[in-house]
Amino acid sequence: MKFGKRLKQQIEQSLPGWRDYFLSYKDLKKLVRLISSASPPLECGKAEAEFVCLLNDEIDKFNSFFMEQEEDFIIHHKELQQRIEKVMENGSEKDYKEELAKIRKDIVNFHGEMVLLMNYSNINYTGLAKILKKYDKRTGGVLRLPFIQKVLEQPFFTTDLISKLIKECENTLDSVFPPSVSSDAGTLRGEKEALALAGEGIFQNTVAALLTMQEMRRGSSTHSHFSLPPLKFPDSDILHTLQILPPIQIP
Amino acid sequence: MEAKPALSVQRSRASQLGAFGTSGAVPPSFPFLPTSVEGTYAKCSDALRVSLERESMQHPSSVVSPSSSSSGAVGHIFASSSGISTDLQFSSQQLEGKHPRQSPFISQSTNSGESVILPYSIGSKALQSSTSSHCNNQNNGSWCTDSLPEFLDFPATAQSCPLDGSDSGIVSIQSEDLSKQNDWQDWADQIIIDNDDLTSDLNDLLAGANVAEPEPKVLIQMSKDSINYSMLQPHASQQLSACATAGQSPSSNTAPAKQRMRWTPELHEAFVEAVNKLGGSERATPKGVLKLMKVEGLTIYHVKSHLQKYRTARYKPESEEESSEKKLTSIEELSSLDLKTGIEITEALRLQMEVQKRLHEQLEIQRNLQLRIEEQGRYLQMMFEKQYKPGTDLIKGVSSTNEYPSNELTDAPPNSPPQEISTLEANNSKGGDSTNLATTYSETSRPVAGNPKANDAGMVESPSSKRTKVDE
Repeated sequence: MKFGKRLKQQIEQSLPGWRDYFLSYKDLKKLVRLISSASPPLECGKAEAEFVCLLNDEIDKFNSFFMEQEEDFIIHHKELQQRIEKVMENGSEKDYKEELAKIRKDIVNFHGEMVLLMNYSNINYTGLAKILKKYDKRTGGVLRLPFIQKVLEQPFFTTDLISKLIKECENTLDSVFPPSVSSDAGTLRGEKEALALAGEGIFQNTVAALLTMQEMRRGSSTHSHFSLPPLKFPDSDILHTLQILPPIQIP
Repeated sequence: MEAKPALSVQRSRASQLGAFGTSGAVPPSFPFLPTSVEGTYAKCSDALRVSLERESMQHPSSVVSPSSSSSGAVGHIFASSSGISTDLQFSSQQLEGKHPRQSPFISQSTNSGESVILPYSIGSKALQSSTSSHCNNQNNGSWCTDSLPEFLDFPATAQSCPLDGSDSGIVSIQSEDLSKQNDWQDWADQIIIDNDDLTSDLNDLLAGANVAEPEPKVLIQMSKDSINYSMLQPHASQQLSACATAGQSPSSNTAPAKQRMRWTPELHEAFVEAVNKLGGSERATPKGVLKLMKVEGLTIYHVKSHLQKYRTARYKPESEEESSEKKLTSIEELSSLDLKTGIEITEALRLQMEVQKRLHEQLEIQRNLQLRIEEQGRYLQMMFEKQYKPGTDLIKGVSSTNEYPSNELTDAPPNSPPQEISTLEANNSKGGDSTNLATTYSETSRPVAGNPKANDAGMVESPSSKRTKVDE
């Protein structure tokens, strides 16, 4: 249940409004177990239809959530652009600085949220792939391959637009931030004090997501050629120190 | 058997109205639903039953809130892949939420030896969001008609949940529901939906429904409300296509109000232009914007909900979308506490940005890998089918480097992909640089085409494993 645990952790550490929209991995897993243990031959067709139905429900859930977020992001993106334009034109020094600071923060957080949405998409996809694999394994079915092909086309997985928005955000950043002083290697190592006070937020979730991803891709018992290769971050130890696990489960 | 599906479908509709608080019991008095409707609703049944269960367990009223709190309109156009639709065989399985009684298997109240009960522990909201999407379909006007009779019958027959609380709950929620619907009543009148269809459906069901005393007045009111209610579902989407009976095409058959629109920046640009022409987001009306935009397939619901989002984004830029960030990210708090200077904040933001960029990069790579893996799988499947068709003699026991038990067909790829991926892995563990992944993968994928021998050898093994499965 390694993935299940990781998913659960990720959900706990995700943004509050998002928690209900992740894959119900545990329940699907239980269903697979039930189906495999309980079904006489007559049932197989029905059980499979049922399973497929549930999976489709999950997919709808993802799609709706994803598209809703995407819509919000599109609007927000445009707003940010307008704000930046306004600020650039604006003469007044004091307002300019304040507004610029706000914009910077907003851009970074906006960027973060979009990345988290991509992570959402990815982790749900991974969960689906895993559950399908389990299903096939336990019931001897061949559901996985065709089904996953359909999943690949779903809105929640076709994240090109979000990716594009993210890149645009990164580009805008350069115009809004002063030129970078520290080098690439240094950035992760500095500024830990500021972040030590960071609570549950976008940054937190991002760190958690990265680490979770790394964990999930470590070799597992069912590591197969359909699995992704392990992930190695050069400074993952830093990431670990940046991670703050919530002491109490937030309802 | 007929009764059960019908009943559960009804219950699901009822749960849509936030009113249903019972679970399990299946009074065999509802033989009326035609099979087609059954089929269409089949999808709703389980998820809804689950939500139903959760309703009864926890918050009978909670179903109302998520739906009504979301932005109003429901214009949906996005046509999801029709591929997802499978032949829906209506199954009589039933899912039960976590009961105090904890009956993980066949519940006492329902009968058929086939039901598979699952302690479904999803957050109720999640289910509701999906359930709300499910019951939105062409016949949405018709659901309420069935729900009422259910209310009337259930108290008598349901065995499982504590009914007393839920009964009164039902009544109060109903009224709550009705009042909330009133706002939408007005623009329900502007509905583009083919009202004739709905009323005819209603009539059909009423005619066919020889159920205990449906009260016509309330029914009509309810049906109108249910129409309105369905408008409120933000998640009403291509659920139909997703789980519809085979052959139903996603965009053409469903009423326009149901499908979700996938907005793009260009579309949004057009929207903003139209809004500005009309004098700003406050003054612009959905109808006007819709007319100005002249986009085919865009409905007033889409525009309405989008406009709502747009307004909140503009006039509460600090409190709406960024509210979570504002509350949660402490960097701003730090500045207000005067602990950190502007430069340090900028640096902290930079760090945050770096981490986010890192995650993004990794996600992109991971996604590409996943796509490639599936592409490989598809290719192999195709090859396999080509091999299998001519009915070539299957050579059993062909040695391969395939390490996996052959009964896992989908996870037992023939030789070449394993070779590629293992070299990939080798590279990766050596390099530790994830950007290598994409390049090595693309490099090593070329050998597939140029290695027909390996393919064939690999292929031959899989048919035998598949054959065993097919024979079972």
